[in-house]
Formats: sequence, C-alpha cells, structure tokens
Amino acid sequence: MTAEVLKLTAPEVLEHARELLGKLALDLIISDWHVVIEVGPEDLPEAALRLRDDKKLSCKYLSTIIGVDYEEWMETLYMLRSQDHSVPVRLRVKLNREQPEVPSVAYIWSGANWHEREAYDFFGIQFQGHPDLRHILTREDLDSFPLRKDARPHRKRRRSGQVTGIEEPVRLPGEPDKRERS
Amino acid sequence: MSAAGEITGQDRSILHLEEMVLNMGPQHPSTHGVLRLVLHLDGEMLISVDPVLGYLHRGFEKLAENRTYLQYLAMISRLDYLSGIFMEWSYVRSVEALMDIEVPKRAEYIRVIIGELNRIISHHVAIGDFMLNLGAVTPFFWVFRDREDVMDMLEMVTGQRMMYNFMRVGGVRWDLPDAFETDCRKFLKEFPGRIDEYEQLITENEIFLSRTLGMGIIKPYEALDYGISGPNARAAGVDWDLRREVGYSVYPEFDFDVPLGLHGDCFDRYKCRIEEMRQSVRIVEQALDSLCGGPVNLKLPPMLRPPAGDLYRAVESPRGEFGVYLVSRGGLRPWRLKLRDPTFSAISMIPKLTPGYKIADVVAICGSLDLLMGGVDR
Repeated sequence: MTAEVLKLTAPEVLEHARELLGKLALDLIISDWHVVIEVGPEDLPEAALRLRDDKKLSCKYLSTIIGVDYEEWMETLYMLRSQDHSVPVRLRVKLNREQPEVPSVAYIWSGANWHEREAYDFFGIQFQGHPDLRHILTREDLDSFPLRKDARPHRKRRRSGQVTGIEEPVRLPGEPDKRERS
Repeated sequence: MSAAGEITGQDRSILHLEEMVLNMGPQHPSTHGVLRLVLHLDGEMLISVDPVLGYLHRGFEKLAENRTYLQYLAMISRLDYLSGIFMEWSYVRSVEALMDIEVPKRAEYIRVIIGELNRIISHHVAIGDFMLNLGAVTPFFWVFRDREDVMDMLEMVTGQRMMYNFMRVGGVRWDLPDAFETDCRKFLKEFPGRIDEYEQLITENEIFLSRTLGMGIIKPYEALDYGISGPNARAAGVDWDLRREVGYSVYPEFDFDVPLGLHGDCFDRYKCRIEEMRQSVRIVEQALDSLCGGPVNLKLPPMLRPPAGDLYRAVESPRGEFGVYLVSRGGLRPWRLKLRDPTFSAISMIPKLTPGYKIADVVAICGSLDLLMGGVDR
C-alpha cells in the first residue's frame, strides 16, 4: 500500500541511522514501516540533533511527543518525519518510573515545547532544561498525574471517600476478575 | 522626561505607557471555542501573547483506557466535532492495523466519499468563521447555506449531522442509501459554481485583501519546526499531504492536486482551503465513478482483542495530520491511546506569529489558522 510512494525504504533509513548514530543507538528496529530507534535519556539531545541536521534523513518535523506508562517503566516517544522521504522515524527513550527525567528537546524543535508540557502534565515526566514547564491541559493545582496507571483522584474527591480516580470498569465476559486474581 | 529624551520610570505611569494585560476569551466570539489568549499590550500593539488551554479538557485519552475498542468509537467523533469522520477513520485504521484486518473495497470508497464531504463542510466553517472574524457577515450565510446541503447528505448516510459514529472496525456501519448517489452528483455539479461565487464575494474584496495579504506569515522551515501540518503548512509552501505521501485507503487511485501557497500569509491559508474544496469535489466524483459492489463491513466478534503491540496511524484531516498512537497489551481495552491533533501545534505557533500586530489582526491570524478547541483540549 505504501511501498510505491517511498523515495527511501525503511531498511535504508535504518542502515543510515545506524551509521549516523553509532553507539548512541541502543536498539534499532523496523516496526510497522516506522524506524524505531531506542536511545538512552542522556544521549537524546545529541541523537535528535544528528537526525535533524543529517542531509539524508533530515527529520525536521516533530509530529508529537508521547508518554506511555507501562507500570514497570515509562517511555517517551518522539515521532519524527522528513519531507524528503516518507519513512517515519520514532525515537524511543525508556525512563525510570520512580524518577522520570529526560533532557528537553524544545531548543531542537520549537514545537516540542508544548508537547513536553503535555507529557509533564499527564505523566509527571520532568524535561530538564525546558523553558517553561507548566500544566497545559489540566488545572494548575492538580496534585496527581492523571494518565499514570496509579493516578489518584483530586483531593476534593479523595475527601469524599473515593479511592481511585476513575470508576472501575464493568467486568466483561471473558475478562479475568481482578478480585479473584489477588 | 530625561535629558536624553527617553521616557522613564514615573513618567511612564503618568503617561500610561506601561504594559496592559488583557484577557481575550475563554468566551470570546472570535476564539472558536474556549481558547483564552492573555494579551500583553502596548496601546493597541501586541507585545506578547500566552495561550491558555484546557477549558474543554474531557480526558479522552484516559477514558479510552476504561472502554472496549468498540465502545470508544462512539466517543471519538466528539473530539473534533467539525470533522468527526477523520477522527473515527484514524482510530479505526489503527485498530485494523493492529488486528491485521483487510477492509472491503466498497467500504474504503464509502469512507473516502464521506470523508471528503466532511472535509468540504469543515472548510465551510473555517472560511465562514474567518470572514466573521474579519467582520464580513454575508459569506458566513452563503457557506452555511451550502453546508446544509452536504449535512443533509451526511445525515442521509450516517443518520447524524455532526457526530457520525459511522466507521466500524473492518468497514462502515451500513451501505449508502439508494437516493445518495443522485443527490451527491447533483451537488457535485452545482458546487464548483458556488465556490466561484465565494471567490467573487471574498477573494476579490479589497477590504479582505488589505486585512489578510502579508499578515501572519509562516515560513516553510518554521512550519516544519513547529509541527504545523495540513492547509496551514501547505499555504506556507510545505508540499506534504498524507493522502498523497502515505497513500492510505484508496487515495492512490485518484487523481487530485495538492494546492500550495506562496507566501504563507492569511490570504494563502484561505486560498488553500478554497482550492482543497475543489479537489475534494474531484475526489468524490472519481470515487462515485469507481464505486464497486460487495460487502461494506466484516463480521467481527463484539469484543475485539487485538494482539499486543503498538503503532501510529495518521490521516489527513481538514486541519492537518490527525494521528492515533495505540498501545495494546492483549487486553480488551487499549493500554494507552494518544491523540495527535494538528490544531495543538497550530496554537503553539500563535505566540510566535502575533507580536507586533494590532488586536484586530490577532483575530484575523487566529481565524486563518482554523482553530478548533475540541481536538486541542481532548
């Protein structure tokens, strides 16, 4: 479906990225025609700069920054694209869940500023060196990070005796009962 | 006044030269929903602006973790309520890709037809609201008159005027009704003439030109840097359209142009939308011609259980790249759903675009960006 419009194929992009990043890349895979590159948090700005300024890859367009909470660890994903080839590149950074910290890339892509604020807002990921790390979508006095799997309700609702932030979903047929498991 | 002729300290406050802070919104007719702009003004001249979001935050991403894949379909067209089909489309595509489902050909054509009609009415609102922001009331009524025709057709197909809930994983909800094709062809025949009418009314209007030419210029590299997509980026000369580059669904079969602007100012953004409406007409015509028989959806179990994995799927919505990042860990509910909205990036550019302009021009620039808060606040 997509193969005929690509000027560079995903394996070519992967090989070039492997040369370009060298030891910075911990892992490179092709997942669903996206090239996924895993880097360590401390190497992120260097890898991002190289991907942006490289003539062949030229990932000048940051589509979004995504935070994911996997309960055991956290992740931030940087969805990059280039105008010159249509292979999306995805930078993946695994974070320590107890203390999620990652350097900001707001000075590399201006658009990252707000996407990082959003990831901070929902997951509490601290973007070091961010010019203006404030809440963006939720209220300013919120003392919990709502998209974490262990999110607590707002203190007003806590006082009224509610334990979790959201209602427990109704158990569906075929779904294991959480109470039996514990 | 000091010896050097500068106005300092106390004199500034006597002369009322200090910076003034003015709240525009959240309930302001020109903010397209509930966007609040904190304007820092020197007289009528803008020094800086701080957009405040979140007045429409409904927790769409958290709610997804609490619902099955099919339950969430009913919600997602409420996200960006002017182009609901595209929200559904991109969500459905991501679930289909995760489950490795091939959609019947007829369903893909129906998706394209409904999607492009939806693009037309979304651009109707964009142009009408933009004109209203500039103080022109007549074009608003003209575009809404034509919008009603398309809405009637969409209601005939989907049963609703705005919140369609029409896409299904593996196809669409039901087939096109019998009367649809004649109605649609009649509309497609008339509509290019009506676009010419808009152009006569708007594009050649001298007041409109003086308010929009050279206003709020976005350079191509800035558009990429801020992650701007869709007509806003194409007006700046960024030749990027996911329908053509990625070629999802049956778009590679159709012949259409991607209109580009030269200067990236408010006028180009308006003009790009006008041209995109013409291209949408072309696409719907071709899709109606090549509509084939066959089923419109697949028989799937009511409880979808996609295998573990993660992927990102985007569609070209009327405002730009709308994407869904879906993580499944093999359960009945998504583990994580991220919605990438194009307007979020467009608003993040307002602090860069507007300083140095007067308040009335800020209204014009915001109008030309086609902001919609439903998708931004999620």
